[in-house]
This record gives sequence, C-alpha cells and structure tokens, in this order.
Amino acid sequence: MTIISAPAGSGKTSLLRAWAGRPGQRHRLVLVQVQRDQHDTQQFWLALLDAVRHATGASSGAELPAATPDFNAPAMVDRVLSELADARGGVTLVIDDLHELTSPEAPAQLTRLLTSLPADVHAIVTTRHDVRLQLHRLRLAGELAEIRAADLRFSERETRELLDASGVALSAAGAALLHQRTEGWAAGLRLGVLSLAGHPDPEQFVAEFSGSDRTVAEYLIAEMLDRQPPDVQDLLLRTSLLDRVNGELADLLTGRPGSEQILLDLEDANAFVESLDPGRTWFRYHHLFADLLRLELRRTLPAEIPALHRRAAGWFTQHGQVADVIRHTQAAGDWPEAARLLADHSFSLTLDGQAQTMQALLRAFPPGADHPELALVRATVDLAQGRLDEAAAYLVVAETYAETAPPDRQRRLQVAIASLKLSLARRRGHLAGVVEQARFLASPVTGPSDEDIALGSDLRAVALMNLGIAEAWALGLPDAERHLREGAVLAREIGRPYLEVACLAQLGFASLVLHSFATIRRRCREAIALAERHGWGTEPVIAPALIMLAGTMVWTGEFDEGERWLRRTEPALQTDTGPDLRLHAHMASGLLHAGRGRHHEALDEFSAAKHLRSQMEGSHAWDSQMTGWLLATQARAGLPDRARGLLAALDDERASSGEIRNARAVICLAEGNPAGALGVLHDVLDGTAPVLGHVTVIEAQLLAGLAHRQLGDERAASQAAERALALAESDRLVLPFAMTGSAGLLEALPRHQTAHAALLADILDVLHGSSPAARQQSSLPPAEQLSPGELRVLRYLPTNLSRPEIAGELSVSLNTVSTHLRSVYAKLQVRDRSSAVRRARELRLLAAGRTR
Amino acid sequence: MDAAPAPYMIRINGHLGATVLSAFPALAPQHHGAYTVLTGLLDRSALYGVLAEIEALGLDLLEVQKLTSDRKSPEPGGSHSK
Repeated sequence: MTIISAPAGSGKTSLLRAWAGRPGQRHRLVLVQVQRDQHDTQQFWLALLDAVRHATGASSGAELPAATPDFNAPAMVDRVLSELADARGGVTLVIDDLHELTSPEAPAQLTRLLTSLPADVHAIVTTRHDVRLQLHRLRLAGELAEIRAADLRFSERETRELLDASGVALSAAGAALLHQRTEGWAAGLRLGVLSLAGHPDPEQFVAEFSGSDRTVAEYLIAEMLDRQPPDVQDLLLRTSLLDRVNGELADLLTGRPGSEQILLDLEDANAFVESLDPGRTWFRYHHLFADLLRLELRRTLPAEIPALHRRAAGWFTQHGQVADVIRHTQAAGDWPEAARLLADHSFSLTLDGQAQTMQALLRAFPPGADHPELALVRATVDLAQGRLDEAAAYLVVAETYAETAPPDRQRRLQVAIASLKLSLARRRGHLAGVVEQARFLASPVTGPSDEDIALGSDLRAVALMNLGIAEAWALGLPDAERHLREGAVLAREIGRPYLEVACLAQLGFASLVLHSFATIRRRCREAIALAERHGWGTEPVIAPALIMLAGTMVWTGEFDEGERWLRRTEPALQTDTGPDLRLHAHMASGLLHAGRGRHHEALDEFSAAKHLRSQMEGSHAWDSQMTGWLLATQARAGLPDRARGLLAALDDERASSGEIRNARAVICLAEGNPAGALGVLHDVLDGTAPVLGHVTVIEAQLLAGLAHRQLGDERAASQAAERALALAESDRLVLPFAMTGSAGLLEALPRHQTAHAALLADILDVLHGSSPAARQQSSLPPAEQLSPGELRVLRYLPTNLSRPEIAGELSVSLNTVSTHLRSVYAKLQVRDRSSAVRRARELRLLAAGRTR
Repeated sequence: MDAAPAPYMIRINGHLGATVLSAFPALAPQHHGAYTVLTGLLDRSALYGVLAEIEALGLDLLEVQKLTSDRKSPEPGGSHSK
C-alpha cells in the first residue's frame, strides 16, 4: 500500500495519472476519485465496487447494487474484498482525494479494506492531510510506503526539465529563481509554465514574480487569468461555483455558446481543468484553482452570484439532480424555496440512500432561516434513524404548519405527514394508528406536476407496505397480502426496487396461517432472489424474508439450515430496524433452540422477544402465541412457578386462547399433573378454544398424548400422536414434536398403526441424535458416511419388516431399498442385517433402545 | 474547551492579495515583512474553518496563536509556532 499525503497542488493526482499511464503496466487499474464533500459513504463504496467490476471484467455478471436507505458498510467492504480476491493477475486500487470522505464511519471501513487486501492488490491513496487509518500492522510489516510533500517537491533540475519539456526558454538563473520562489511546489510551477509559455519576456516575468511578496498561487493564477482571452476568463469565473461542469451548463452560466470547446482546450493546455469521463463531457477544476476562482468571482461579480446559482439550480432540476438543486438554491440565498424543496424530496433522498447528504443540507440552513417546512425533513431523518419520539415531536410541528400553509402546499404536506405517521405507527406497532393514517390511500395520486405524482407514488408504495405489515400483525392476512402485493407492483412501476423488495420481503409473514409452509418458503426465496439481484442479499430490507425462511426450516426440523439463514440476518439486525423485525428474529431463534431441546437458550430468546413486544403499542393477534411459547419454555426449563406467575397476570380472553391453554398444559405436566393438563386441553381439542392455526392443535394433541401416557393410557396416547401426525403431514412439520419432547410418545406408536410412517421416521430422525450427521462424522470416515436415503432404510433394520415392506413404508421401489441396503452393508463393513443393526448401534447411528 | 470566541493571530507566508483575503472576512490582515498576519475573534469551529480554508487555498501556514487579554499583539516566535 502507498499513501500520498501532501497539501493541495503538490501534484498528487498528476503523479498518479502519469504513473498509471506509463507503458508496461501489468496490473489492472481501479481508480476512484472521491467527490467533493462526500457525506454518504454509500456513494463512494458503490463507485468503488463499480470501478472494481469494470477493471476486473466482472461487470457483465451481477447487477451493481442500487443505493439503499439502510446501507450496510461492513457487508459492502466484504463484497469489494471478495471481488478483488476473484480478480486474477493483480489490481492497483487507487483512491484519490480521500480527505473529501467526511463521514465519521469512513476511516474504520477504509482501514478494514486496506488491511485485508488480497496479496496481489496494491492500494494507492492520496489525501491532502493525514487521515486516521489504523495502518500500524502494514507499517510494521514493511508493506506501507509513504510519499509526502517533500518527496513531491520539484528539484531545481526537475524544474529545468519541466520548462524544457514545455518549450519555455529560460536562463539557468531564471529557472533557479522560479524554483526558489515556488519552493518546487508543483501547482506553482505549472501555473508559472502556463504564464511563461508564449510570454514575450520570460526573464522579466520571473524577475517580477520573484520580487513580489504575494502568495504563489494567488499571484500566478491572477497572471494566468490575465493572459486568457476575456471569454475564457469569464467562463472560468462563472462556472467556478459548480463542483463539475459540462459545456451545456457553462453555456447557460456564461450566456454564450461554445463553452465545451473552451473546456477541451483548457484541458489540453494542462490548465487545471480535467475531464471526468472518457467521452470528455464533464470537467472539474483543480480544487485549489476552483477555490481561488470562486473567491475572485465573489470579489469581482458579487451581484451576479445568486442569479448564477439559480440558473445552475434550474439546470439540475431539469436533470433530476435533487441534491444539487437544493445546494444551489441555498447558495442563491433562496432559503424558503430551499426548505420547500428539501421537504418535498426528503423522502426520495432517504430512499436513494442520501440521508447524510440530506442532513448536511439541513445543517446548511442558517439558524435564522429555519423554515417550518424543515420540521418534516427532521421528522424523516429521525424516523429513519429510529428516534421515534423526536420524529413524533417534529411531526406535530409539521402538522401545525400544514394547517396554515397555502392550499396548494397543504394537500402535499398532509400526504407526506400521513405517510410518515403511518411509518411511525407501524414502527411502534400501533395498529389502529396505521389504519387511521392509511386513509389517504383511498384518494388517487394527483398533482400539478409529474414530480407531485412521483412523490405521491413513493409515499403510496411505502404506505401500502406499512399497512400490509400492520395487517399481518393483526391477522388481517388476506388484506395484508393484497396490500403488500399492490405496494410491490406500484414500486416496480415507479422504478423503486428497494420498495418492491421491502414489500415482497414481508409477504412470507403475511402468508402465515393462510398458506402452506411450502408457499411461504417459495415467497421468501423469490423475495431473496430479487434482493440478491440488487446486491441486497444481507441488507435489512430483506431480513424479514430471511427470518421467515429460517423459521420454515426450523418448523420442518432442518435446524442446521435454519440456523444458517438466521445467521445471515445478523448483520442486517445490527442496524436499526425497529422492534418488530428483531422480535421476529428472536422468536425464530427461540424456536430453533426449543427444537434442539435447549430450553434455557430458548427462554432467553423468547424473553428478549417479549421485551421487544413491550416496546410496541397496542395488542396483537400473535401475542397469545408468543406468550404461550414463553410460558411453556419456562415450565420446560424447570421454572413452572415463574410461568404460573405470568399466567395469573393474563386477562381472561387471552388466557382462554388455545395457545395459552397449551402452555398451561405444559405447566401441569411439569408439575406432575397430567389429569390437569388434559382438563385444560379439552377445549383446544374439541375446537371450542380460539386458535391461531393448526400448529396449536398439533401441539395440543401431543401434550394430550404425553398426559395420557403418564396416566398409563397407551391407547389414547397413540391415538393423540396419530392425530398430531395427520395434522403435521401436509407441511411435514417436525418442530411441534421436538418442542413438546414427544420422542417417547412417537416410539411407543406401533408402526402398523400409523398412516404416516415416513413422516414419523423423519421426525424420529431429528429427535434422536438431534444431529445424526455430526455423530456419524466422528465415527465413520467421510467416504463411509451414510446418505439420508441409506439412513432412512437403516432405521427399519431393527424391525421385522421385510424389504418389500420397508419399500412400502418409505414409498420407494424395492430396487431402491436393495441398493441402499447394499451400500449400508458395505459402508458398515458387515454382511447381514443383524450385524448391521449391531454395528449401527455401536456407531450410534441407531438409538440403543429402539427395537421393534 | 473554551466555547466563547477568543482573539487569534494567524501568520501566513507571503502577502495575501484581495482575492485570497476575501476568504477570511472575519479576520483583519496586516503585512509584517514577508508575512501576512490575520487577527480576529474566533470560536473553535470558526478557527477550524479558517484552518481548512488555509489548507484548501494551499497557503503556507507558519503560526497560530491564541492571544490572552493582556497580550493582544503577536510576538514573533511565540511558543505555539509550528
């Protein structure tokens, strides 16, 4: 890694360009120039990723991620690193003007990138001043080279070479004087050369310059400007207030055509103008040069500056560059107009991932110019960052203002306020508030301009999403599904993939109860695939689908797979996503632990979920389920007294729900009171108690089975187990059997009595050796491990079922069973069925006690 | 940290012309030999704004000194020179 750290005008960028363009370069070059005052690191990282992909030829593959409102910087660093690792043959990564990256998180992110680079990547960073990167490790390893101002300074000999190469005829004494006066400062020398080229008396020029006390840059820029034709001078001055300029913009600001040619000529003359794109349509001025030009403009044409900014704002408006429009409107001093613009675009800027830019624009308002419109902006910022109380307070201010606003503003403000209140209510879990605020959806989007309609559509799509989520919580599931789908369709129409993914990510949750687990799983996978196409595979926006998918895995007993999906949500949950999402994640983790019989870990997760639930307002349909699992887990973890205490605090309506009745039955069983358990379960089993779904009934059947068994009624126990299996068959649910600890109950079920032998086998597979594969690994060499199919056949070996009967049980052909058996014998190194059983027991592939 | 504005003296190499001086409207310039001395009341953020401006304009910063109430005029070679 190389750091080039030197003041403005030291020639850092020129050095880089010359170095990168030298012949014989084998490394591929990735060059990113940090934009001026880059507040949102996301734009920088996206530009970097894009540059890496272009240079390594990976751009044809995955789409470049779009900006999101909840940017996940660590994940982005990982992505850049992995793309760099995939690039073969060496890459030179150049980051120019690092000091412009002003975000406080930037140094940590960059440190991680720069200290984790693959071996064949060389990074070069330029900066005006030292930035706080933690690079000790690189320095100690001798992998860090530093180029500083003294290294970049021209020597006297180099000064002469520069003059010769530029065709300037100057005596040795003149060259020495120029070198001495500029102290070898690159920008000074280049400015000097510009003035000297074609000067009638170069010696005289150097002598006057040397005799002047003026600072180098100011003197030479004034000289250089003086030597330009008036139209060029005028162009440079008037366009200096832009961060970047093109011919059209320059024509607009000068009121003259032909600007593009002037810009091209200036770049060709090396006159501190650089093109930004290969097509040479956009240009920027050297920062130092631009700053001095701006000062000169302010001094010489002060009265014209506001008008120039207004013209620039007009051009950026036509080209949809909102942040630039607002910046120039502010610079023109049109504060109320700037406030109105920022209020109108705060929502889309947030969606475009420009929250930091928005905050910088907000800070740019002078204290006296704090317009009431800005309350809406502040509410948007606070809401996006999870400061809900502050957001609510600003919304009150915005509402008060909206009441007195001119009629044309009023409706627009009210729609924006309603949409924000809807988001706020949803984040707080306040369902009634959501439905109340969603009324504006009933009226169509109208407005005098396309912009009005676009804003209205953004707000509508978000409102539909929030409404859908709220309805899913309230078990208004068909409505939830419909609204989420409408939101997704609208989002696609208006080109807001972020909102489309956000709506679809919630569809899995809205499908619970209503649809099969297979459907939920498919919907989650579709949403995840769409998110991945945009590079958002681990972003918070897709977390609801990741969690719901993990949940379906846990329900079908695929615990390891479920755990993997849950882990994928962890980075997303570190950003602020509101209590509802984290609550889902804790519930899924709790179920995973409960399924594995880890009651104490499960209890921690369910308790965390309950705590988050207390941060949400109002009552929710899922409450009884959450509370039920919490109570049941307490009882199973040996804390039935605590469970009783919580139970006593529940109101009658909740206490009579199927889910709480199940929990009460678990407590009774833990207290050694099976008869009591059967008593509470009665209403669930006969269908009188309200239940959330068939899962509750499966649980109740299993608990009844366990109670019957404790009472010695094996027949009733088997009947209950069989009913539970029948209900679990279509979704192939395993979790209820695992959570209730029904292994013994299922094993006691005679094989010939069940119509669900295959499911039963799968369930027992999970219940015994919660990870049979793991145990197997320790005892059998990898090549000898049994496949799932072989394990399934193996399970029938201790029974007296014949091979055709086993084939029938497993719904496979006799041929398949025979093939599996042959390879089981081979892998276990045995010759017959009974030694296979013995060997399998030794290897703990079969539970010791399971003989039938 | 002092929140109230305090008088500061900033010494820069070379004579600053009208264009560059317009970047420091809050400071009064004086030429001392080959140097320009800028003085004025600055609070913390104003001071760092001035320093950033000096950096951006590529000026050669020689000295920054906070002036105590009894020492309003700069003394060359003060203990804060850098």
